[in-house]
Amino acid sequence: MANSKKPGGLREMLESMYSVIALLFILVACVELCDAAAAFDVYRLIQYDMSGSPFGSRFAALNHHAASLHFPPGVDLSRTVLIIPLRELNITFVREYINQKKPLGGLLVLLPEVLSFKTGGNNQVHEKEKMKNLLAELERLLIHSNIPYPVYFAFENDEIDTVLADIKKNDLMGQPATATTGGYKFVIPTAEPKKVASPTMTNIQGWLSGLKTDGDANQLPTIAIVASYDTFGAAPALSVGSDSNGSGIVALLEISRLFSLLYSNPKTRGRYNLLFGLTSGGPYNYNGTQKWLRSFDQRLRESIDYAICLNSIGSWDNELWIHVSKPPENAYIKQIFEGLSNVAEELDLKVGLKHKKINISNPRVAWEHEQFSRLRVTAATLSELSVTPELLESTGGLFDTRQYVNETAIVRGVKLVAESLARHIYGHQGKNIQIFADESSLAVNPAYIRSWLDVLSQTPRVAPFLSKDDPFVMALKKELAGHVDEVNVQHETLEGIFTFYDSTSARLNIFQVASVTFDLLLLLVLGSYLIVLFSFLVITTRGLDDLISLFRRPPSRKLKTA
Amino acid sequence: MEKFVGYTFQELLKALIGFIDVAGLYLALTQLTHRNISQNHKFQAVGLGWALADSVLHRLAPLWVGARGLEFTWDYILQGLEANANLVLSISLAALGSLIWLRKNKPKTLIPIIYACAGIVATMPSITSYLRRGLGWHFPKVVGFELFTSLVMAFISWQLFSACQRPYV
Repeated sequence: MANSKKPGGLREMLESMYSVIALLFILVACVELCDAAAAFDVYRLIQYDMSGSPFGSRFAALNHHAASLHFPPGVDLSRTVLIIPLRELNITFVREYINQKKPLGGLLVLLPEVLSFKTGGNNQVHEKEKMKNLLAELERLLIHSNIPYPVYFAFENDEIDTVLADIKKNDLMGQPATATTGGYKFVIPTAEPKKVASPTMTNIQGWLSGLKTDGDANQLPTIAIVASYDTFGAAPALSVGSDSNGSGIVALLEISRLFSLLYSNPKTRGRYNLLFGLTSGGPYNYNGTQKWLRSFDQRLRESIDYAICLNSIGSWDNELWIHVSKPPENAYIKQIFEGLSNVAEELDLKVGLKHKKINISNPRVAWEHEQFSRLRVTAATLSELSVTPELLESTGGLFDTRQYVNETAIVRGVKLVAESLARHIYGHQGKNIQIFADESSLAVNPAYIRSWLDVLSQTPRVAPFLSKDDPFVMALKKELAGHVDEVNVQHETLEGIFTFYDSTSARLNIFQVASVTFDLLLLLVLGSYLIVLFSFLVITTRGLDDLISLFRRPPSRKLKTA
Repeated sequence: MEKFVGYTFQELLKALIGFIDVAGLYLALTQLTHRNISQNHKFQAVGLGWALADSVLHRLAPLWVGARGLEFTWDYILQGLEANANLVLSISLAALGSLIWLRKNKPKTLIPIIYACAGIVATMPSITSYLRRGLGWHFPKVVGFELFTSLVMAFISWQLFSACQRPYV
């Protein structure tokens, strides 16, 4: 019995206690190396068809091991996700991978946290130009390629950085993650992306009536101010388009506010109607503007004197451009240009005129004013861009965040447009009268511009993913309704050559998986622990002989009876 | 005692369950006398059975649901070790319980020690939850503490048991 073996048993008990404590220390040390699963928000590359050809990333679900750029050369990556932070991104490497159609399990690009509209705040971006160019190039490459694996964007934070550092360490040791060597596994459990059925474009128009005296038999002339509000970018869930065209929307709202102040008093109401248009479908050859104009009454269309379209006026220093499609010698164009240049001189900035002829047979519409010109309405686009953008370019991409917009530029742009409009309406051309002077009750309100710009910089606005009663569109309508007499909303279907697919954002789960060898090792350790415990108990209670007798065959009956 | 500071309803419930343990062991030790077992073996059997039921009810469900996931965590291994410690604690509690309720001729000096040890072992769950919540110890540390105290308590109760076995001096 245990009592007779007391001194020996006590010693054994102490020894086993030591071994337990030793095992404990080992365990405590091991536990620190293991991470629990982590989950992050990730945003998918856009997937669309243009005239039947597929573009963008064609898959959404992901379930592969992760590797960094330091993977050992010659390794098969068809079941691996490459995780690349933007600062280490080499465009030629990515281009090579995509153009040569090399197999890859997935791609995760880590964007710097400062670009995130949720957590980045208004911190300054280091090396603005370099990052902007890199992002623009990456976006151009990804949008125009057909990529047969999922591509996601995520923002860097501490957790992802530690995971990435760990992955890099493993890769440098020459052990890319597979089922037998352990590592990190990236899982994104989403369904297969489906087509967005009948995407809607919503055009919002606001009407400010001019002063109709008894003598006017005909309709008053109208001036239109238009801006398109939707965006398109590599990651639709991140396409906030602060400059393209958030700046235009904010300028339009501010102009409408100023003129509503003027028009609220019959004494200062001008003899022109003002038509404000917030159109959708901008990136897709201004499809929405075309449908909006087609829906007009013929009389209304003929009464439009001219239209000013605002496109990206948020990050310029001293020069703005007026793009027209009618030749500059045209009397109306001259009038518009002179009006704007006179005010520009007073505001100490330059405006230049750019003429681009329209080719009716070419469906490409690069500027919004071209849609007006195709219906014989005089129009011009005011923009900081001097070069005509390509299809799906300058439509609010990855780099178009709040930090790249300068609200002073927007304030000056508003002043320019509002003054020149007012001088035309009230017949003060050429006179040096400041209607919207600073410190007056009609001054441009920078706080209003800033607050709306902040809101816009946090709202992704890709048209196929905005439903008919999207809260943001309703908010725009409500805001415009506060400044004009009458607001109308027009819903159209986005037809034409574009088809879009859903699933724009998802949740990434990162698991640290153990290799098979680790599992076997653990099994061995636990097995030996249990065996040791069992033998210890048998020895202390029944004696060593009993333990050994467990393994010996029982003596055969023959010998016993013999 | 400081551990009573910051007690919530949950903690009180846990302490209550600890004492239900004691009550259950009391019933098992005293009421189930239909078999002729010596006192030595009785407490071992009761302690073993109690610890088995406790382990199965506490740990089987989380193990089945959680350990089959993709991610490896050390939690379940630690829970196994905790179950070991729990086993030892249950047996020592049963031993002390059998000393308190079944053995009538105890040396007078040892009685308060027996009751004190029994009290400590019975309130073990509250102590561990205080360590985890109040002091913020991590799970491996708590399991280590449990293993250590279980061995210490087992040793002490073993000494007490054998002391009570000695012929009365």
